[in-house]
Amino acid sequence: MTDYSNYTNEEIQVDTIAKLIKDDQIVIVGTGLPILGASLAKKVYSPNCRLIVESGLMDCDPIEVPRSVGDLRFMQHCAVQWPNVRFIGFEINEWIHGNGRVIAFIGGAQVDQYGNVNSTSLGDYHLPYFRLSGSGGANGIATFCNTIIIMRHERRKFIEKVDYITSPGWMDGSGGREKNALPGDRGPMMVISDLGVMKFDEKTKRMYLAGYYPKSSPEMVIENTAFEIDVSKAVEIKAPSPEIIRIIREEIDPNQVFAKRH
Amino acid sequence: MVNKVYSLKDAVAKFVEDGDRLTLGGFTTNKKPYAAVHEILRQGKKDFIAEAGPAGGDWDLLIGEGRVKVYINCYTANPRLTNISRRFRDAIQKGTLIFEDYSQDVSVLMAHAAALGLPFLPVRLMMGSGLTDKWGISKELRQTLDKVPKDKFVYIDNPFNPGEKIVALPVPKIDTAIIHVHQASPDGTARIFGSEFNDIDIAMAAKKTIITCEELISNEEIRRDPSKNSIPGFCTDAVVHSPYGAHPSQCYHYYDYDIQYFKEYDVASKTEEGFKKFLNKYVYGVSSHEEYLEMLGSNRLLKLKVTPGLGFSADLSKGAVK
Repeated sequence: MTDYSNYTNEEIQVDTIAKLIKDDQIVIVGTGLPILGASLAKKVYSPNCRLIVESGLMDCDPIEVPRSVGDLRFMQHCAVQWPNVRFIGFEINEWIHGNGRVIAFIGGAQVDQYGNVNSTSLGDYHLPYFRLSGSGGANGIATFCNTIIIMRHERRKFIEKVDYITSPGWMDGSGGREKNALPGDRGPMMVISDLGVMKFDEKTKRMYLAGYYPKSSPEMVIENTAFEIDVSKAVEIKAPSPEIIRIIREEIDPNQVFAKRH
Repeated sequence: MVNKVYSLKDAVAKFVEDGDRLTLGGFTTNKKPYAAVHEILRQGKKDFIAEAGPAGGDWDLLIGEGRVKVYINCYTANPRLTNISRRFRDAIQKGTLIFEDYSQDVSVLMAHAAALGLPFLPVRLMMGSGLTDKWGISKELRQTLDKVPKDKFVYIDNPFNPGEKIVALPVPKIDTAIIHVHQASPDGTARIFGSEFNDIDIAMAAKKTIITCEELISNEEIRRDPSKNSIPGFCTDAVVHSPYGAHPSQCYHYYDYDIQYFKEYDVASKTEEGFKKFLNKYVYGVSSHEEYLEMLGSNRLLKLKVTPGLGFSADLSKGAVK
C-alpha cells in the first residue's frame, strides 16, 4: 500500500491555501500552487467556491492541471469564456459594489515588509541583472482585490525594499494605499511561503509571522527574511492528513505538473 | 463578393510592412499565430513597434531575431514551459531592446479602447506601482520615435469626481493585426471558438488585419449560423488557410500545445547559438507552412488533437485521464 504519511513543503502549502479558501468566495487563481490549493478546496473544504482566471475564463473546474491561465484545461471546463477586458471590469465592479467575495493569489520574485511585490525586474529597471516576465494581471489584481502572496522563502526574496513595485501592497504602511490613490479597503492579506504564513499587522501593516509548519520554525523564518519580522504571535500549522496528501497526489496533480515529490 | 483569400506568403508580403505597429492575437501559449510569425521571419520583415499583449514564444522569436524596434510588454512567457521568455530577457538585460511595461489589464484595455475608437483611456490602474514610477522609454526618447506616443501616461483629475487622481493612457494606432481563428470564409468573415481573448478588438482596431484559419469554409456555410461568427468580412484584409497555424500553441477544440516543441525551445533559447540553430530547423529550414507541417509529421500532429469532451489531448497527458 502506498504510504501518504509523509509530505513535501509544496504539499503543505497546497493544503494551507486550500484551507483558507471559504465556501462563498470567488478565487482568482494563477497557475502553480494556487490552482492545486484551489482544486483541493473545491474537492474537500469549500466545494462551493468559484475559480476565475485573468484570461477571462469564469467559474473554472479543471479536470487536469493547467499550465497557463489561458490553457485549454481551463477553457473547456468553465462556465463562461469572457475576454480579458470583462475579467478586469468584473474585478473592479466587485470593488465598486463593495463586495468582499473575491480573493486572489499572486506571486513574484521579491516581497517587502508591507507586501509590495516585484515580478518585473531585479536591479536597475532599465538594465536589470535579471528581467522577469512582467505584470500580467497582477497589478490590477493587487489594486482591486484582497491578495494572498505565494513566495519561496529566501533572504534575497523577503527584502526591505523591492527593486520595482509590480503589485502594490500596503505601500509604506498604514494609510499608504490611500496616499497613492489605491483602494484602502483592499490589499494583501497574507504571504504563504515554504516556511510559513505571514500576515500584516492591522495598525502598522508590517508583516509578521502568523504560523509555521511542523518542518519549519520561527528561527528559520527569521534567518531567511532580510527585514526584521515579529514571530511572537506564531503558532504551529497542523500537518496535512494522509488522505489530503493522497488526494493531491492521485487526484489533483497525478502528473506532478507542479507539486514535485522528490 | 470579394475574395480575400491569400497564400501566407502573399498576405505577409502585402500587409506586413517594416516599421509597422504590430499586434498578434492569442494568449501566451494559446492560439498564437505562429505560422504567420514564421513567415514574417522568413521574409526578413523588421523594425516593428510591438503592442505585444499577453505574449509568449511568438514575440520571443521576433525579438531574438532582432526584428522588434520597440517592445510594449505586459507579460512574456510560455508559462510553466519557459517562465520568462529567454530572448526577451536576454535582450533587456543586454540593453539592446527599447521596451516599455504596462500591465496586462492596461494592454488589453488599450486595445479595447482602440477598437471602440476612444480618444484616450482613463483607468484606476498602475497607481503606486513601478508602472507609473518608471518609464521604460523616456519622455525624450519618445519624442524621437515614430509611432510611439509622446507620453507613457498622464495623470488627470476625474472630471466627474474632482479631486480623484486617475491615469489617462494613449490609445494605440495599430497598423497590422494578425490573428488565428477556427473558421473563416473567402469574404473575410471569421469564427472564433472558445475565448476570443482580445482578438476581435485588435482585428477591429488595426488598419490591416490578416486572419489565418484552421478551416476555410464557404461564404454561404459561415452564414448558416451567424451566432458563431466573431468578425465581419470588411474588418479583414486577408484570409489565409493555415491548418495547425497556431502550432506549437493551442487551438480550442482542435489541438493542444506541443510540449515537445516548447521543451526544445526552452533549452535552445538559452543561448543565441542554440536559438539560431532552432530557427534554422523550424523556420528557415522550410520554405512554407506546408513544409513545416510535413517536417513535423502526421503522427506528431495527430497526437496533439484535442480529445472530445476533455478539451485537451489525452495522448499528451497519459495517466491523467480517468
